[in-house]
Amino acid sequence: MGLLGMAGSAYADEAEHGLAAPSYPWANDGWFASYDHAAIRRGHQVYKEVCAACHAMSLIAYRDLIGVAYTELEVKALAAEIEVEDGPNDDGEMFGRPGKPADHLQPPYANEQAARSANGGAYPPDLSLICKARHNGPNYVFALLTGYRDAPAGISVRQGLYYNPYFPGGAIAMPRVINDGGVEFEDGTPATSSQMAKDVTHYLAWAAEPEHDERKLIGAKWICGALLCLYAMGYYKRWKWGPLKSRRIIWDVVN
Amino acid sequence: MGKPEEEEEEESDPVDTKPECEASCKPRCVKQLLAYEACEKRIEGKEGKHCTGQYFDYWGCIDRCSATKLFRTLK
Repeated sequence: MGLLGMAGSAYADEAEHGLAAPSYPWANDGWFASYDHAAIRRGHQVYKEVCAACHAMSLIAYRDLIGVAYTELEVKALAAEIEVEDGPNDDGEMFGRPGKPADHLQPPYANEQAARSANGGAYPPDLSLICKARHNGPNYVFALLTGYRDAPAGISVRQGLYYNPYFPGGAIAMPRVINDGGVEFEDGTPATSSQMAKDVTHYLAWAAEPEHDERKLIGAKWICGALLCLYAMGYYKRWKWGPLKSRRIIWDVVN
Repeated sequence: MGKPEEEEEEESDPVDTKPECEASCKPRCVKQLLAYEACEKRIEGKEGKHCTGQYFDYWGCIDRCSATKLFRTLK
């Protein structure tokens, strides 16, 4: 597939696919590892203060965060900070009210056209499922956020775009937004750009796969049970076959 | 972590460890770096040429080396 491309314009394929992200050692890697919920909490703060200005996460409701990153009271307070359109009321009018935990995270733009118009024609994608919607999701997202570099020799991107080797094609409409000290974490963690990117990526990984912790727990229990069953079944089979496998057959001359 | 600078009006921003991790991986990726720099020199002044391949080789090497190192410095 790439061979013909390489024969002609050398390595045009590489920029097309983007530089492959390395495998970072995430806290939830492995069969028995859960999410780092402190990181999810910090990551949500980063999303709220940095990313929510342009990116929606419409599939996540405030109540999804209860027991994951915040307590119920904290979530109620978080939701109440925003105003949500509700209605119609008895007069047939739409009205605004403070948010409730049942409300979803509000998108920054009314529709895709408004989003594109505010971002030079590019649409900042909804991030609810981004870690599942991109190959090698979490690694890709972290590499992208921290990977803004000078373009290689001979490559230039037009005004309005920025070079990022991980982005397919290399020219991305989003500038570098995660910078040192951009956020102040309440648990005192130093907010370096790598720390912020790691935490927001962990938060996005949770958003795409909220069932992850429960899935691994159930998986571990069932695999354990299945192994016990395997042992029991093996024992039972060999017990039933014992007489057959240990029989002696005597061949004798028939006159 | 920095000392709490309560008396100063501006606190200095925390310093990111990523550039340091990447710099420490440079010796392991010298071959790719030299290939990239050779390409850079080769295409100087030429139109329509670029060094994306060598750039990817170099930064791919740096990434693989520094990934674990970087995460060890983060909380």
